[in-house]
Amino acid sequence: MIDTRHLLNRRNFLSHSVNGLGGVALASILNQEGLLGAEKLRESAAGKMPIRPSIDTTNPHAPRLPHTVPRAKQVLMIFCSGAISQVDTWDYKPELIKRHGQPMPGGDKLITFQGEQGNLMKSPWEFKRRGQSGKMVTDLLPRLGDLADEMCFLHGMTGKTNTHGPGENFMCTGFTLDGFPSAGAWTTYALGSEAEDLPAYVAIPDIRGTPQSSVNCWGPGFLPAAFQGTSFNAAKAVRNLATPNGLTGTTDAATRAFLQRQNYRHLQNHVGDSQLEARIASYELAARMQLSIPEVTELSNEPDYILKEYGADESGNKILDLRAAYGRNCILARRLIEKGVRFVQLFNGAYQTGGEGVSNWDGHKKIKEQYDIHGPVLDQPTAALLKDLKVRGLLDDTLVVFCSEFGRMPTFQKGASGRDHNPDGFTAWLAGAGVKAPFSYGATDEFSHKAVEGVTTIYDFYATILHILGLDHERLSFYHNGIERRLTDVHGAVIKEILASS
Amino acid sequence: MYSAGPLFKHLHPFVKPLLQIFFCVMLALSGNAFAKKKKIVATSNHWSFQPVVAEHRYDRVDAFLNEAMANKNLRPLGRAERRTLIRRVYLVMLGLPPSPEEVAQFLNDDSPQAWDRLVDRILASPHYGERMARHWLDLTRFAESNGFETNRERPSAWHFRDYVIKSFNDDKPYDQFVKEHLAGDALGADIGTGFLVAGPYDIVKSPDPNLTLMQRQDELADMINTTGTAFLGMTIGCARCHDHKFDPITQRDYYSMQAIFAGVKFGERAVKKEVTPNDTKKVAVLRESLTAAERELEKLRGIAATTKRGLSVLRPAVNARLNTETFDSTLAKFVRFTIQRTNSSEPCLDELAIFDKSGKNIALAKAGAIATSSGNLPGYPIHQLAHLNDGKTGNQWSWISDQVGRGWVEIEFAKASSAERIEWSRDRADRFSDRLAIDYKIELSVDGKSWSLAASSNDREPFGGNADPNAFLAKLPAPEAKRASELITEINLNRSRIAAMQNGVKAWVANFSKPGATHRLHRGEPMAKREEVPPDALEVIGSLDLAMDAPEQTRRLALAEWIASEKNPLTARVAVNRLWQFVFGTGIVDTPSDLGTNGTLPTHPELLDWLADDFVKHGWSMKHTLRLLLNSNAFQRSSQPNSAAARIDASSRFFWRFPPRRLEAEAIRDGMLSVAGTLDRKMGGQGFHLFDVDRENVVHYHAKDETGPAEWRRMIYLFKIRQEQDAVFGSFDCPDGNQVIPTRSRSTTPLQALNLFNSRFTMQQAQKLAERLGARADRVPQTYELLYNRPATSDEIRDAEKFIEDHNFLAFCRAMLNTSEFLFIF
Repeated sequence: MIDTRHLLNRRNFLSHSVNGLGGVALASILNQEGLLGAEKLRESAAGKMPIRPSIDTTNPHAPRLPHTVPRAKQVLMIFCSGAISQVDTWDYKPELIKRHGQPMPGGDKLITFQGEQGNLMKSPWEFKRRGQSGKMVTDLLPRLGDLADEMCFLHGMTGKTNTHGPGENFMCTGFTLDGFPSAGAWTTYALGSEAEDLPAYVAIPDIRGTPQSSVNCWGPGFLPAAFQGTSFNAAKAVRNLATPNGLTGTTDAATRAFLQRQNYRHLQNHVGDSQLEARIASYELAARMQLSIPEVTELSNEPDYILKEYGADESGNKILDLRAAYGRNCILARRLIEKGVRFVQLFNGAYQTGGEGVSNWDGHKKIKEQYDIHGPVLDQPTAALLKDLKVRGLLDDTLVVFCSEFGRMPTFQKGASGRDHNPDGFTAWLAGAGVKAPFSYGATDEFSHKAVEGVTTIYDFYATILHILGLDHERLSFYHNGIERRLTDVHGAVIKEILASS
Repeated sequence: MYSAGPLFKHLHPFVKPLLQIFFCVMLALSGNAFAKKKKIVATSNHWSFQPVVAEHRYDRVDAFLNEAMANKNLRPLGRAERRTLIRRVYLVMLGLPPSPEEVAQFLNDDSPQAWDRLVDRILASPHYGERMARHWLDLTRFAESNGFETNRERPSAWHFRDYVIKSFNDDKPYDQFVKEHLAGDALGADIGTGFLVAGPYDIVKSPDPNLTLMQRQDELADMINTTGTAFLGMTIGCARCHDHKFDPITQRDYYSMQAIFAGVKFGERAVKKEVTPNDTKKVAVLRESLTAAERELEKLRGIAATTKRGLSVLRPAVNARLNTETFDSTLAKFVRFTIQRTNSSEPCLDELAIFDKSGKNIALAKAGAIATSSGNLPGYPIHQLAHLNDGKTGNQWSWISDQVGRGWVEIEFAKASSAERIEWSRDRADRFSDRLAIDYKIELSVDGKSWSLAASSNDREPFGGNADPNAFLAKLPAPEAKRASELITEINLNRSRIAAMQNGVKAWVANFSKPGATHRLHRGEPMAKREEVPPDALEVIGSLDLAMDAPEQTRRLALAEWIASEKNPLTARVAVNRLWQFVFGTGIVDTPSDLGTNGTLPTHPELLDWLADDFVKHGWSMKHTLRLLLNSNAFQRSSQPNSAAARIDASSRFFWRFPPRRLEAEAIRDGMLSVAGTLDRKMGGQGFHLFDVDRENVVHYHAKDETGPAEWRRMIYLFKIRQEQDAVFGSFDCPDGNQVIPTRSRSTTPLQALNLFNSRFTMQQAQKLAERLGARADRVPQTYELLYNRPATSDEIRDAEKFIEDHNFLAFCRAMLNTSEFLFIF
């Protein structure tokens, strides 16, 4: 059976298109653009019919109904680029501590990304009980540890690649290869956004640069470009947002008005062409964004206590500078969520520069030294962000997702003081709307090497996230090159165990 | 009220029962490859697997369209204005607006052939190839960096881009074009194989064997997917982990395809130079004088052979390029060339020419001569008996025997004639030297019964020996010896000149290695090997009949011949459907890379087949088919909206009007440069950069804030970095080079508006445009002519002049470059 609701929706907006000029040609245009997909609907590999979102070309970011009643309306994803070690943060393994310095059973036959294994190594940071739940979290992230009661841990995460680029692709798009739509693009394609004058989907790259998969992490893939993430952070504005140098505001406004008059005159000869209407609307929205984006990125009106809480008030050494920059990005993320932006993706860590693990969490050789920088940069601002969201009541509608491309080994690499990549067992956590907390789901083996319980693929992970957003991951698809493509490929099952009871 | 149920039924008149049968069979099979024949029977009656219908009720595009319109009660609109038409055809076919002068020329051409002539000019324009190449590079996921996190550049990948542009401009037959993509190395078009390795390539290698295997599987999957979608309109990639759910493609098919590409590796290597038309001319002249010199030298050798000065001297050993046999003029009706031994494989001859006293080649089929043989290698259109005496030389026009090391060919003249000289060669183009006849004899006969020996390899130096080829000089009288020395010098010089024009660049094209065994992988897992599979194509269409250990090149060549065959029901249909889409915006099948059961049905199935059949009959000429489309009434129809017609067919899939559309990113940028007068029309070569590049182990790309004349070339020449998008035009749905993109989406976003309205690029071009126009308020009419190819209305002039008076001409230009009318095809 086909859900006909989206078809009905389309009829609704047909009669409401901009300036009353909309009409018959609209459906045609949407078809041409493949936005509506009122073309032949094809069964996906899961044997279900897709549900196409009803997209108004004159306002592709208008909010849209999900498939079912959602538990969360917005997503804040915190992405640690470089593969943050679960061994040194959230995944407490007494057996690893006990057998510290001994060879890992079977480890001698194991070849991981960079080669052979050394011995088992406990975390250089001590695990302590946190919150009322007593969840064990290390001293690397004490403030986040204090919020453990807010978190729903997924300790049995697995990936299927142990290189960064494909790993970040997999975590952000559900495919290891480049060129697939990011989770944020899927979400805004399905749901649009509540933030009228802001981009529907914002990626906030680390001040040190883009993540290792670069713009793939927020790319639209084969979805229309309307659904790509717009990337900016507190330090670097949206490109081409500002009025060009040397132009007065008056001339700028008058130029836009002249442009729109010319476009309207032209539209009179092509009445009902929604592509043309959409262009007129897009210039109006762009003009509003020129005001609203600087408003949201301008942090000077934040009170001192907020800046202090987020660690954005101090500078003077490498850690403090980086923490302040990341802290400002955290404040920006909170503001975007506050404004109703559908999907916010906040990055901690950037592409590799200056060597492994210097600019991100890729601690192969000197993990202690490197994480002693990355830990404090991440900890305080992220904890402040989580608390701030909670205080403002934003966690009621926002799902917070903390993840990384994969995890790290419980051993040190042979001849090194750091850990190699480990896609076979790592930790992510969720918080906020729709999930149980405090809660821990899944587990790795006795050393934190392989997931053995509640094994969670990235497909399951996204099936669950989409479910919380009221989207059926098997019916949210887009026809491309002969295939109904999904965020979850042809896999994935919702992890019912972690859903909050309503 | 919309109801999805009937919609589904309507679109699946016969597909649905097929699907049901298919699923039943699927269940019964549970992935067993041996039982697949049954399944194919159950699914191969899908329309696109049927042979292209060759008999048609009509013979022009409009006849098919008009009938379909009449059936839908649609009335076509009239012809668009001439101004609209010239702008439309320029934008569609060249991706650039016409200049006001070009518009005036067309408007003033009163002859009934004005349109035809315009179309001819358009198709002859070098910008045509640039425009078509953009579509083609989208389809072939071409980019000039490796992708993934390291994303290093491929500085020599542009050769493939130039090859594509040139192929379109030369109207290279589509079948040849496709073959060169898959096996250009065997066809004298190395650069074509850039196609195989144009996709992403992960250079992050690890000692982890799992990772290494998976990376290789992904590389091969990219080649299979791209080949399947681009040429066949089939989603073969779906069968990597399990049999295809909708189409008759098994997992075994997938791995058989994988075996075809199993020896293909990524990298740079030396290739034959891409030869320009000018080079070709020069080479032809050099070849001619080379041949003349060789003939003269051969005569001198003949003198040496008959002189009494010292011992007789053997003639030089055979060579692949050209061998001459001279003998006393003899009356004959039959000439037989018998090959007893070759340097390798079955013998190959690209031409056998027999001359009479007047120097006329009497062996030509054109002259009435008939060729027969001991047997011909089957299955290769480029190798056939008719090529022996067709006057065309080179490997592509050659004959190969069906026996290893031997075989004979015979020419029967139209009438008995006096023959005195024979020329024969393996490959006159000097690219191949295998399959050479090294032990042979040539006999003549008048009646076809009694034969006399005219020439043989017996008086030649042994092949591969180290005899001094110039030993004969000593036997010549002084003047002849001097002349022979001069000739030898000239010949050597000519040869090296020809080589210099053909050889020697490095390019990112496919590298080849000996393939190992290919196995079916259970669920696509690299470690879960199942039975070994032979290299093969899709069984539903036919088999290549290759051995498990068939040589690497043979595999690809066989696939290439299979795809680019007129018997393949998919190839021509997919191609003409794409051409239709390039012209009209949407294909007759609107899922252009999926003609399988999951794709949509053609709106005009008969038209599609007629076009496909006609395309093949006209030598796979894309310009021929495009000319048909451009000359149709449908293309020249008005694009005005009409609510009555729109109620029946809103998107004009039945072409009651020409459907308008937004230009692609590249055409917008090119158009801005063109009207601003800043466009550098230099073709080809290394691309320009829009990023500052920061090269570590991982390469970082930072969009340039400022561009200058070096970056003001057509965007097809942009050095295309995978993933990274141009800061201004990337937001206009530019593909990122990671996926086959058969149809661009055309979204409209505020980011596009910000980029086009505020970017430094726009401001610069607006400034240049203002300067070009003289920046005076009275230049408003010229601005409209330049940007829209039409006069401004009095309203528009009044409004613009007032605006310019209140502000300035630059602001006016900035606004005009942002208008919809400038950015759309109507």
